[in-house]
Amino acid sequence: MSVFSWAQKPAPEATGPSTGAVDEVEATSKVFPRFLSAVAQQALETRPVILELGPVVGANVEFFSDRLACKLYIENLYLDLEEAARLGTRAGLAEAFLRRLALAGDMFDGILCWDLFDFIDAKTGKTLAGELARLLKPGGAVYGFFGTTPIELCRYTRYVIESESRFRLQHSPATPVKRNVLLTRDITKMFEGLSVSESVLLKSSTRETLFRR
Amino acid sequence: MFKRDEAVRPQTTTPPGAQPPSVPASTTGRPTERDRVNLGKSVIIKGELSGSEDLTIEGTVEGKIELRQHVLTIGPNGKIKAQVVAKAVIVQGEVHGNITATEKVDLRESASVDGDVVAPRVAISEGAHFRGSIDMQKAGVKPGDTKPASPDMKPAGAPEPTATR
Repeated sequence: MSVFSWAQKPAPEATGPSTGAVDEVEATSKVFPRFLSAVAQQALETRPVILELGPVVGANVEFFSDRLACKLYIENLYLDLEEAARLGTRAGLAEAFLRRLALAGDMFDGILCWDLFDFIDAKTGKTLAGELARLLKPGGAVYGFFGTTPIELCRYTRYVIESESRFRLQHSPATPVKRNVLLTRDITKMFEGLSVSESVLLKSSTRETLFRR
Repeated sequence: MFKRDEAVRPQTTTPPGAQPPSVPASTTGRPTERDRVNLGKSVIIKGELSGSEDLTIEGTVEGKIELRQHVLTIGPNGKIKAQVVAKAVIVQGEVHGNITATEKVDLRESASVDGDVVAPRVAISEGAHFRGSIDMQKAGVKPGDTKPASPDMKPAGAPEPTATR
């Protein structure tokens, strides 16, 4: 199975709000090991601090604790995403994100975005990217995916880390939304203040990206 | 896992009908049924709650809970708005506040926690809601004592991989 092949095909049964995992797929990553390495090197003298923008996953908490002995903050922006999609209030999504991320600046060594930017429009994306740059310590890293096919997204994915280069993907239904496809130059422009350190286009047309501040 | 239920199960070596030895729990050092307290659904406590026995809360507590040597279980009906300090904390209900445990925090499927968790071990079941920070600082682990990077890892800023860009 090609890596991240899930990204190309929406689940036909996925129509309602996220209620739980419906199926699982495994995927390998080329860039995630670089993220771990970057965070570890970033915090040689102090304990790393990581911000997770997805749901809490027990296995991931254990992984980060064992691997990086880090402090992990969980701010699940997908909750705001789903609520806004369901209520038709996507215009207010940027404000909801800002409220949720009202944390001190220069606080994190690493931020996990997963595929969050696929679900939000360019304006909201710009606001969020700016906020992530503010939260990140100089030298810190942001890890995320960007789909390159303009499909309707009908499901969310929980990324369960199995090893430094392998994830188990658990899908759950989402209120459908058209993917916001970003070209490489759009990504660079959106993440002003951060630089693209690694960018790998996978066979599944998903761009796995690592940013550094 | 704690296997607390096994620990509190009475010893059954006494033959049926014989009088069990009347040894107080405190002298055996093992918790008995008498050492566990349940706060029922209708109980509301506002203030500071501390004790020296395991406690299960099904009611509402606002303030502070301190069971430094014992296990605190917040049952499915439990609603806590408090700072919690215990040896181990099992959450099945709702907690708004920080949780500190010297051994373990266990968030079960029905748990909802808004607050910061500090414990050497944290277990989170699928379906649990959590918002806040998790600090699993292990004893003896110093900054930089992370596992070595895999051989294919390279230092930050090293050349790009040969994948499609």
